[in-house]
Amino acid sequence: MELTKIEKLLERYDEGETSLTEEKILREYFLNNRVPEHLSSYKMMFMFSAKQSNQTLQETPKIKTTRTNWYAWSSIAAILIVALGLFFFNDANQMNQNDLGTITDEEIALEKTKETLTMISQIMNEGKSDLVYLKEFNNTKNKIIQID
Amino acid sequence: MREHTFLNIINPVKDKMYRLALRLLTSREAAEDATQEVILKLWSRKEKIKHYANIEAFAMTVTKNYCLDQLKLKYHNNLRIVHQNYESNHQSLQSEIEVNDEMEWLGRIVATLPEQQKMIFQLRDVEQYDYDEIAEIMEMNQTAIRVNLSRARKAIREKLIKKHNYGIN
Repeated sequence: MELTKIEKLLERYDEGETSLTEEKILREYFLNNRVPEHLSSYKMMFMFSAKQSNQTLQETPKIKTTRTNWYAWSSIAAILIVALGLFFFNDANQMNQNDLGTITDEEIALEKTKETLTMISQIMNEGKSDLVYLKEFNNTKNKIIQID
Repeated sequence: MREHTFLNIINPVKDKMYRLALRLLTSREAAEDATQEVILKLWSRKEKIKHYANIEAFAMTVTKNYCLDQLKLKYHNNLRIVHQNYESNHQSLQSEIEVNDEMEWLGRIVATLPEQQKMIFQLRDVEQYDYDEIAEIMEMNQTAIRVNLSRARKAIREKLIKKHNYGIN
């Protein structure tokens, strides 16, 4: 009685015509009963399907995007800070270079130039006077190495 | 969509996604990677996902497409995904070993099926989706799905009976 019903369902199962509820009946029958020899292949299939659905994903899914976003934004901010810093720093330097204290009155300019040039020559002479000692090197060298 | 709500949607589906990936890619590591990758993909498209009526079916479709791409890639590179799913060999009863052998054998039979039949068998007999959902996931019509499912079921049983009759193969 029961078996003929099952066999009929199996026929439709093979054709892919059974509904989910009918398949559930089959599954329960094959998983819970001893089945006749000629249906054992169906039992194996239903056992396999049932066993397969026990496999689960071991690791928990990770969503990395938020972290990488944070990194991206912080690096953009750092670059902006450095760029802006350099920009303003350069700007300040240029302002100093423009203000050189140029003298417009010609006579004062001449006086100032003269003053500066004499100061330079003075310092030059002072520096040069110290070079006298360099002769001593030559004297000593000539004692050792004699070139005739 | 917040991370929390997204994970609430994904969590019930992730095992099904993993099993579908495992059915197609065979290797556990590859299937895990694929699932992770697909979840990230879905997360990056989270604003669009909200408008889908059936997010689960969409997630399964993306998984299917991703795995098929992966297989194509490996095929063109002349590589195969190598799997090393060694079962732990703990002691068990003789009958249990026999059943496990049988199950392993069935797994190998299913692995020889064409990709489409494999997937439809997985979706119907393992995950128990109804035909509407399978049609949505597979992007096929229902008649074609029934035909493929019928072929898959018959092929599996045929090979199983053959094996029992001849012992080998």
